[in-house]
Amino acid sequence: MPADPSMKILVVDDMVTMRRIVKNILKQLGFANIEEAENGQEGLQKLRADTFGFVVSDWNMPVMTGIDMLRAIRADEKLKAIPVLMVTAEAQQSNLIEAVQAGVSNYIVKPFTAETMQEKLGKIFK
Amino acid sequence: MENGGHKLYEELGELARFVKDTMRTLSEASPQLSSSSVQLPAAAAHLSDLKQMTEDGTLEVMRLTEMIQDGHGQIAKDLSAVIEILRAMDCKSLVERLEKVSSVLLQDDKHLTEIMTALSFQDLVAQRVKKLVAILDEVQGKLVELVVIFGLQQSGNGSTASGTAGDLLKQLEASNTTAMKQQVADDILAQFGFK
Repeated sequence: MPADPSMKILVVDDMVTMRRIVKNILKQLGFANIEEAENGQEGLQKLRADTFGFVVSDWNMPVMTGIDMLRAIRADEKLKAIPVLMVTAEAQQSNLIEAVQAGVSNYIVKPFTAETMQEKLGKIFK
Repeated sequence: MENGGHKLYEELGELARFVKDTMRTLSEASPQLSSSSVQLPAAAAHLSDLKQMTEDGTLEVMRLTEMIQDGHGQIAKDLSAVIEILRAMDCKSLVERLEKVSSVLLQDDKHLTEIMTALSFQDLVAQRVKKLVAILDEVQGKLVELVVIFGLQQSGNGSTASGTAGDLLKQLEASNTTAMKQQVADDILAQFGFK
């Protein structure tokens, strides 16, 4: 199913610079309905309080990591179908495997380009 | 049996000398250990400052880039409207020229997006700095443990930053506390007649 440009997207990252970069790229790709969260816990709260069509999340965050948030999303009946894209500096093979096992929709290693983000979005919403 | 006892005393004596030498070596290292345990928190604080400075700089570049992107968006819209009007008026030459301008704008937009993504270096820097600060904290904790366990003195040179590391830290401190802001420099220059 192609991505709906009006869908609400949640960007979860503890670094304000990364949230802004991801938001900027998504905006360039035609998505304007974007919300932010600083960690997994805040992300989960927002996901449970509203309807989101897509989550872009970092891995390493204080309070709750991205991988723990992903597991919580997949364990939640209402949220489990939301595609989650991990954008992270955790570039070890074991990390990727852990993310796949937790149910990640795709995985981007930092630093990345707008083309990579577009390609991953295309694969998630094909 | 007597011979064995003698050997045991010799061994114990050697062990005692070894312990004494070790204690003396540690005592001699006392100033350096104490100094390091004092310098490490300062070095960690400077690293954190560095992280903040890269974040501030990055956010400013982002702000300016986004302003240009917004401007480009508006120009592209207006240009597109003008091209449609000119097309309706059959001004082919003008349409072609404006379409070239549009494509240059589009190319520039790609470059602006590349600037934005290139700024993700700051996130990687911040993550590494965080790890370095955690390492420094741990090393400092271990140094303090050594100081406490061996009862090393923290007086004299040991309590102040000394050596190359100490000098560098002092320079860093100075750059924090005495670095002149441009406004102050301008005020002083103005007093000397600079405009």
